[in-house]
Amino acid sequence: MQKIDITILKFLLDYNVQLIRPPLSGQLKDIFLIFEKELNSNYTLASDGNCSYDHLTFETFVGIIHEINRLTNNAITLTDPLLVQYDKNKSVVSHIDTFSLKILYDMLTNTNREKQKQKQKHKEKHKEKATDYGPTSISLTDNLLKLLNGNENCMDPETHCDEAHDMLLFEVPLKKNLYSRLERILKEEPISYLLNKERARHSVEKFKYFPICHNREHSHLLSQCVYISNNKIVSIQWSKLNKFNKVSQQNKHHIFLQCIQTHIHYIPNLKPQTDLSLGDCSYLDTCHKLNSCRYLHYLQYIPETLNESVEKQSKIYNSREINNLMFYTHGLCCAYSNKLLLPPQWIRCDVRNFDFTILGKFSAVIADPAWNIHMNLPYGTCNDIELLELPLGELQIEGILFLWVTGRAIELGKESLSKWGYEVINEVSWIKTNQLGRTIVTGRTGHWLNHSKEHLLVGVKGNPQWLNKHIDIDIIVSTTRETSRKPDELYGIIERLVGQHARKLEIFGRDHNIRPGWFTVGNQLTGTCIHEMDVRKKYEKWIKSTTAAATIS
Amino acid sequence: MSQIEMPSVQRKSEDSIRSLRHVDFRPMKVLYNNDYSNNYIHSNSYPQKHVTNIENTVEGYPKLQKLFKEKSRQIANYATKPYGCKVDIDEMIPTLNKWIQNDKLSFDVVMIGCLTDNQLIYPLLTQLPLDKLISKPGFLFIWASVHKINELSKLLNNEIWAKKFRRSEELIFVPIDKNSPFYPGLDVDDSSVLEKMQWHCWMCITGTVRRSTDGHLIHCNVDTDLTIETKETCNSAVPSHLYKIAENFSTATRRLHIIPARTGFETPVRLRPGWVIMSPDILMNNFRPKKYKSDIAKIGYNVPLKNEIEILRPKSPVSK
Ligand SMILES: [Zn+2]
Ligand SMILES: [Zn+2]
Repeated sequence: MQKIDITILKFLLDYNVQLIRPPLSGQLKDIFLIFEKELNSNYTLASDGNCSYDHLTFETFVGIIHEINRLTNNAITLTDPLLVQYDKNKSVVSHIDTFSLKILYDMLTNTNREKQKQKQKHKEKHKEKATDYGPTSISLTDNLLKLLNGNENCMDPETHCDEAHDMLLFEVPLKKNLYSRLERILKEEPISYLLNKERARHSVEKFKYFPICHNREHSHLLSQCVYISNNKIVSIQWSKLNKFNKVSQQNKHHIFLQCIQTHIHYIPNLKPQTDLSLGDCSYLDTCHKLNSCRYLHYLQYIPETLNESVEKQSKIYNSREINNLMFYTHGLCCAYSNKLLLPPQWIRCDVRNFDFTILGKFSAVIADPAWNIHMNLPYGTCNDIELLELPLGELQIEGILFLWVTGRAIELGKESLSKWGYEVINEVSWIKTNQLGRTIVTGRTGHWLNHSKEHLLVGVKGNPQWLNKHIDIDIIVSTTRETSRKPDELYGIIERLVGQHARKLEIFGRDHNIRPGWFTVGNQLTGTCIHEMDVRKKYEKWIKSTTAAATIS
Repeated sequence: MSQIEMPSVQRKSEDSIRSLRHVDFRPMKVLYNNDYSNNYIHSNSYPQKHVTNIENTVEGYPKLQKLFKEKSRQIANYATKPYGCKVDIDEMIPTLNKWIQNDKLSFDVVMIGCLTDNQLIYPLLTQLPLDKLISKPGFLFIWASVHKINELSKLLNNEIWAKKFRRSEELIFVPIDKNSPFYPGLDVDDSSVLEKMQWHCWMCITGTVRRSTDGHLIHCNVDTDLTIETKETCNSAVPSHLYKIAENFSTATRRLHIIPARTGFETPVRLRPGWVIMSPDILMNNFRPKKYKSDIAKIGYNVPLKNEIEILRPKSPVSK
C-alpha cells in the first residue's frame, strides 16, 4: 500500500462522522472533493510526506476505497456498490466501520516506523529486567487476546515474541469478526423451512391452549376456597376469593382473580390423611389409593368461562379464509383445497401373519411394537426376531417411518430400519410429564438411571422431495396416559410433514389410535373397517384364501 | 353466565372486584391437556419451555431434595482440586498413553466430548487403549450430536467393543430454545426432517457392577436420563449437570473428561473440582500426574458411604 492510501484511511477515520452527516450525506463525489481540498491545504499524516498527490483522480480514489473494503471486509458501506461502476458520481457512503479501519491503519503505520521503536524499547527492557514482566510488557488485554486466539504459550513469558504479539493485537478481532460472520452464514436456514413454518401457521388448526399458573400462593389460596367432594371440585366460594383478591391487590401481587380467569390452576386435594411434610404423590392423578395415600394430590381447575372464551377464540382463529388458497404449494396434494379426509380405517389382524401387500403404499408409517423387554404387558408381544422379519420394507417406495423403541431396543430398532431400507435421519424424544407438567423423576423407572423420556426413531427411504421439513422439532412434551400409550402430538407432527391427505399407516395400533386419514392395523383392534374400495377387495380375497387354506388343512 | 359488559376496558379493571359477583367460577368438568407441539406452530414457543420443573427437577419431593443436597455435600468433601490439562487435539492420545504407561494412571469415570459439533471422537475411541485408561468397574460417558452418536453406534456395536463396554443408558440434553448457546443448529447433513433440539450421550459400563449389592460403587436411579437447560447452565462448553449425573451415579473419585474439539471463542471450558479436564481450550494447565496421585491417595478411590444418603436413596430390590 502507498502513502496515499494511508492518508485516505486517516482522513476517513478523522472525519467519519462529518462525512456521513448532512450536508455531505456520504456523497462519494463530494467526499473526494473535500479530500482533495484537504490534501492541498497540507493535510498531513504524521508527516514525513514528500509524496506527490498531484495525479489523484476520482477513479483511483474509488479504487482505493474498494481496496480498503477488500482488506477490511467492507468497512465502508456503499449503498449500492454496483452503482459505482456505472455512475460513480451517484454512489453514497452510508456507514464507516471505524473499528476495522483503525485496525488496518494501526497495522500499516506500525509496520512502517513505530514497530522499530517498539522493538528497541522491548529489547532494552529485556536487558534491564529479564524476569519481571510487569503490566507494561504484557497487559491483561494482550493476554486475553492471546487466549482468544488459542496461543498455547500465553502463560509462558519466555516464548513471548514481539512480532507475534504485535500481529496478534490486530489479527484477533478481524479473525473473530470473520468467524462469527461465517458461523452466521452456516446457520442460515433454507428459505423452504421458513415457508413451511409460515404456511403451517396459517393452515394448521389451532387447538385450545391454556397457560399454566406457577404461583404456589395461588393454589394455596384456592385450596381454601374450594369445596371438594369425591375427588372432584364441586364449587368455589366466591366470597373468599373476593377477600383473597383484595389482600393480593394490596400487597401488589399478581392479581389473583385475573390469573384464575386466564390460567390452569392445580388445587391441592387436601384429605384428612394428607401429610404435607411428605410432599407430592409420585402418581398424582393416577394414584390408585386416593383415599388412603398420605402424599399430596392435586385437582385441575379450569373455570368453565375460561374454557368457553378460549374455545371461542380458537374458533374465530380457525375460521380464517386463508386455508383454501395458498401460493406456496410444495408438498401438498394437487386437490388439497377440496379433497375430503378419509374416515378412520382399521383391520384387526395378527401383524405377524398379515399380508401387507393388501394395503398398498404409504407416505408415512408408525410402528409401536411391544419389544420383548415388555414381556409382561397385557397385549400380545412380538418377538424381536419376528419383528425384524416383518416385511415392512414393502410398505413404501419412498417415505418416512417412525419406530418407537425402548431401552435396549434402540440398537435393534436402528438395525431393523436399515434392514428395511431406511436411513435414520432423526431421533425424537418424548419428554414424559405428569399431571403438573413436571418431568417424571421418581419411581425407579429405569435400570441405572430413571427414565424421563422415550425414543422414537425416524427413518427415511428413498429421496422424498415432497416432505415439508423442519416445521416441528424433535422434542415432544406430553403427559403420560395408559401403559405404553404414545402421545397424540405425533399425529399432528406427521400430518404437517407429509400433508393431511397423504396415506398414513399405523402398525400395532389399538382402538385409541384410529383417526381420520389413518389406516390402523393390530391385533387389539375391535373389528375391521375399510373404505378404500381396492383395499377392501384385496382384503376380502385374502380372507377367503386363508380361510380356504385353513379348512383344507 | 358470563361477565357483565363494561363500557370501557379501563373501568373493567377498576371494577373487577365489584363485577366478581357476576363471574362464574364453575369448574370445567372434563380434564384438558395442552398440545405443546400444536402451540409451537402457532406461538413459536418451544414445547420444552413448558416443562414446570426445569429449574428444580425434584420440586414437590422433599426426600429427593434432601438426597441431592446430601449427595453434593458428600461429593464435594471427597473431591480432588480441579485440574486442567491444556493440550492440542493431536497431542491428546500421546499424552494419555504417557499417563497410562509412565505414570500408571487410570480413571473410574471417563467422560468424552461436550455439546459442540466437529468433535474428533472416533479417532480417540479407536486409537486409545481405553480399557487400560478406564479401570474395572468403570463408567464411560460419550456426549455428541445425535448424528455423531448414530455414526458411533456402528463402532460401539461391534462385538469386541460391546464386550468391553456394555451400553447401559442413552442420555439426552435439551437446550431451552434457539437462542441457547447449546442450540445444535444445522448439522453437517441437512437430511433431517425435524429441527434438532437435543444432544445425546452413551453411558457404558465396563466390568461388573450389580445395582442391588454394589451401593458402595454406584447409586442407581438418583438422576434421570434427561437434562433440560436451566438458567445457570449458560456460557460454558459443558453444562455442570453433565458432570453431576456422573458424580451422582458413580462414587469413584478419579474422574477424567476429554474434550476432543475446539470449543470456540464464546464458550470457555471451565474447571470442576473432582475432575481432570483435558481440552485445548481449558482455562488452566495445572495437571501433574504425581501431584494428582498423592491427592487421590489422601481422599481415597471412592466417596465413602453416608448413613443419611443410604436412607434416602432409591434402592433396587435384592434379587433372590
Ligand atoms: Zn395463578
Ligand atoms: Zn398417591
